[in-house]
Amino acid sequence: MARVAREMVERAGVNVDQLVELLVKNASAELTTYYYYTILRVNLIGLEGEGLKEIAEAARIEDRNHFEALVPRIYELGGKLPKDMKEFHDISACPPAALPADPTDVKAMLKILVDAERCAVRGYTQLCNMTAGKDHRTYDLVLAILNEEIEHESWFSEFLGEGPSGHFMRRGDNSPFVSKFLK
Amino acid sequence: MKKITRKELKGYDGTGGRPAYIAYKGQIYDVTESFLWKGGKHQALHLAGTDLTEELENAPHGEDMLSRVPVVGTLID
Repeated sequence: MARVAREMVERAGVNVDQLVELLVKNASAELTTYYYYTILRVNLIGLEGEGLKEIAEAARIEDRNHFEALVPRIYELGGKLPKDMKEFHDISACPPAALPADPTDVKAMLKILVDAERCAVRGYTQLCNMTAGKDHRTYDLVLAILNEEIEHESWFSEFLGEGPSGHFMRRGDNSPFVSKFLK
Repeated sequence: MKKITRKELKGYDGTGGRPAYIAYKGQIYDVTESFLWKGGKHQALHLAGTDLTEELENAPHGEDMLSRVPVVGTLID
């Protein structure tokens, strides 16, 4: 634990235990989403599915990066991850993004993907609101993750016919916002 | 539809096998089966057995989320 770093956050008026609990729940959401996106990605086949596979893969890898980036901050603030993977799964900040009953239904898969991203956008917005101007390091991290989650939402939303995302898929490396936390 | 007082609502806190109810604008919602309300707690910040009308104003989602859970009664003072 980074004792003074935690103390500074407490002194700024943040309930650090609540903050850590939320960071752990969101770390769980990222890792479980990484797992569920793996299943979704392998089932994105055929004429409709292949067009989505690459973008789902980018979101999958970036969600794993989010998990990796969150873990050190949880421990700095005196938190820890559950010792049990099932417990970790069940405290996720977002519901499981399981494969739909018909795994060839690409629209149903897209709905699952966009719902998962929208849950993440809500969660990181909440974390930004809690930490803005108070916990600079956590804010910097959760804002970076929020930027990527918003892009994921807009990618999948575009495929659902809700309107243009306004940008292109990744060119080059993944995690343009979060990569600085992974070095 | 049940009529539930604020005092009674506190008993539906989702712990110890009890159902998890929340109140919003006078209606009681059953969130027991919601993944996001496991153990009677939502996102580390909100507790079942309480009136969340004010808290929802500051939440990162709107009241439309409540359409996903059943209404089981009304809140009376």
